[in-house]
Amino acid sequence: MSDVPRQITLEEWDRRYEELQRAGIHQPSYSGPLSRHVEDGDKRLLKLRYDNSAAALRLWNFLLTEEDRLHEARTSGKKLVGTMKDLGTVPVMAYSFDNVVAFYPDGAWWIPCVMELDAGLLEIADSLGIDESFCPVRAMLGAFVTGAHFPLPDLLTCSVGATCDDFSAIAQRLNGLGYPILWWEAPHRRSGEPGEATVKLPGGFSAPKCQVEFVKSELERLKTALEELAGQHLDEKKLSAGIKKANQVCMYLDEIRQLAFTTAVCPMPALEMLIAEMLAIHFCSDRDETIEVLKELLGEVRTRVQAGKGVLCADAARIFWVNPVADLQVMNLLEDCGGRICGTEYLFTHALDRIPEDLSPAEALARMALADPTVGSSADRAQRICADIRRFGAEAVLISRIPGASHCALEGEVIGEIVQDKLDVPVLEIEVSPVTDSMRPTLCTRLEALVETVRERRKR
Amino acid sequence: MKTIIYTCPYVPAEWIAAHGLRPSRIIPGAVGSTGSVMRTEGVCPYVRAFIDEVITDKHACGVVMTTVCDQMRRAFDILVRKSELPAFLMNVPNTWQTVGAQKLYIDELKRLGRFLIRLGGKSPSNDDLAKIMLKYDSARASILAARGYLSARQYVEAIAAFGRDGPNARPNNAVGAEPLIGRVPLALVGGPLIKLDFDIFDIVEQFGGRIVLDATETGERGMCAPFDRRSLRDDPLMELSNAYFGGIQDASRRPNNELYKWLGHELIDRSARGIIFRRYVWCDMWHAEFWRLKDWTELPVLDIDIGGDNETNQRRTPNRIRAFLEMLQ
Repeated sequence: MSDVPRQITLEEWDRRYEELQRAGIHQPSYSGPLSRHVEDGDKRLLKLRYDNSAAALRLWNFLLTEEDRLHEARTSGKKLVGTMKDLGTVPVMAYSFDNVVAFYPDGAWWIPCVMELDAGLLEIADSLGIDESFCPVRAMLGAFVTGAHFPLPDLLTCSVGATCDDFSAIAQRLNGLGYPILWWEAPHRRSGEPGEATVKLPGGFSAPKCQVEFVKSELERLKTALEELAGQHLDEKKLSAGIKKANQVCMYLDEIRQLAFTTAVCPMPALEMLIAEMLAIHFCSDRDETIEVLKELLGEVRTRVQAGKGVLCADAARIFWVNPVADLQVMNLLEDCGGRICGTEYLFTHALDRIPEDLSPAEALARMALADPTVGSSADRAQRICADIRRFGAEAVLISRIPGASHCALEGEVIGEIVQDKLDVPVLEIEVSPVTDSMRPTLCTRLEALVETVRERRKR
Repeated sequence: MKTIIYTCPYVPAEWIAAHGLRPSRIIPGAVGSTGSVMRTEGVCPYVRAFIDEVITDKHACGVVMTTVCDQMRRAFDILVRKSELPAFLMNVPNTWQTVGAQKLYIDELKRLGRFLIRLGGKSPSNDDLAKIMLKYDSARASILAARGYLSARQYVEAIAAFGRDGPNARPNNAVGAEPLIGRVPLALVGGPLIKLDFDIFDIVEQFGGRIVLDATETGERGMCAPFDRRSLRDDPLMELSNAYFGGIQDASRRPNNELYKWLGHELIDRSARGIIFRRYVWCDMWHAEFWRLKDWTELPVLDIDIGGDNETNQRRTPNRIRAFLEMLQ
């Protein structure tokens, strides 16, 4: 059995799975050959290339079995909470109860990609008046209507205020169809005025203390609703323990990202890195297993770095990626075109930054919520991107627009200008739809142009 | 007097006027073409037009924008980079059912007050504010009372003039309303109009209809509730908040069922027989409401989407309205 790191096809993974089995390598109960998920309709998997480590196999199987876990949780009497839009904050609170499982219905935005549009979710959204002028997250509406991709939650929460209009409008449509939603307000993060008390947020932003107090009061409303649902009181001790666990996820991810983005030879491909980062949002419906999955992935990355082994050429162009992609295959495509990921801002950096443990847990979570890159200005977001470009040594920035998303229409201009002014690195904007097959040649040309630009600049 | 421009109905003109500055609610003339925004795809035409209007404005000393919609929030980021006009972004909560949300709105008014003082305004006493609120309230009541005597276009122009010039505005009401008899009463529902869109009132009349309810943001729906005179004397700022934050129903509110309650009442009151639903392409907040509105009402609903191309809109809209009215006659 070869342990040389490389990217392999789904077919190759099945053969490799057999090898791993024969070698007696432990895999968890939800493991199995990846190709079994294609039988469930996840056809896009046939076109992706995967890292060949056992750690990556575990990561993929963990991701692709989330629905089963949610059904099991319900069967075992646990309460399910759909935490829409906040991308990380409410799940930390929800997982502090021992009988609550939080998940992220917005994650349905990847179903059209993974099932190559066969699930019919976008058609359902169309029929409800939410057409292609909205972000692909409209697939979530179809997922609720069909009930086929996740069990209907016992409680549905949604942050609004400083969020994208697409999601807010789609969630309101869902509410109008009869799904009760507990709305909570995430105010636009602003700078402090002269003489106004401000606090430092995780990740480096700051916000006026009064905004933190407001968010705290909103989270208190959520806590009360969760306590009623769970039939348990959530005291400071339990919430602090929940934050500690979430920070374990952040800690592992931080080291994985640092190694993957800065080591001379890239030890882990972009696609697996994207999936790993996503786990921080809601722990893929099992926080403890998330920690184990990431621990194993970190072990693999460390081993490869120590051995000087990796999956891409050492001269790959170092790209900082902004916004998540609706089509996972584009992460493979970047690497095919000679690039590698060296820094990301997938709209949820606040879920990756460690939550303060030296504050009251309510205050810490409020600060986390306000650190959400999307609740602040595009200029703030650009500053964070600049800081991370410096940290990871990226040579270019790729802003990946989400079709129809309200924030993507105007933010790219601001982010691009600030990054160019401050760091003088090339910036490229592309748009990525849920299935990019017909656009592949165009995307390739644009990505190759960016890679060539980076390589030319190295000769200066 | 220094002028402060804004467009969002949740910005109380009285608050700006009480600071000794001149509030002027702007309605862009047409969808912009000055290239202030690099991209056009995905950008709400109204937001684009507003950015152009602010960038080309030569008289204002400040602009107030709000967080009511994401694109306007992002437009603020563009404006602070492209314009030297002092700009203020006011947090207007989308949620409204909690005391905390209303307190946040009042705190933001106070913060707006500090911005206005930095621009040369003066801090108002409660008496000053109350007097100005009474003046605005009376003017607003006069406009609302004049509805029956004005054509639909004159009515919306009177509302626009009031927003632009305040209680001293002199609306053009030279020609009164023609009798409604024989005309199909319609409601116009949606976000804000641009000036060019005021033609829609004439188009409807030309084909045998009459807009009897202007439920757009620039129409009656964007006007605050009447002030409670007693509360106004006791705590004018709180009453201002009640009338604006509590009184204006919008698609952006979460939940927004109060909008439907308001519409339900007004549609019956005005005996509307159909609804023209007017929305901008890329305005998610209103776009998402179209099918819900259709499911909710028994009245026929015509969807008019407005893109960035003024000429196309002008050619297409009359034909659609004509067909709609033929169906209703």
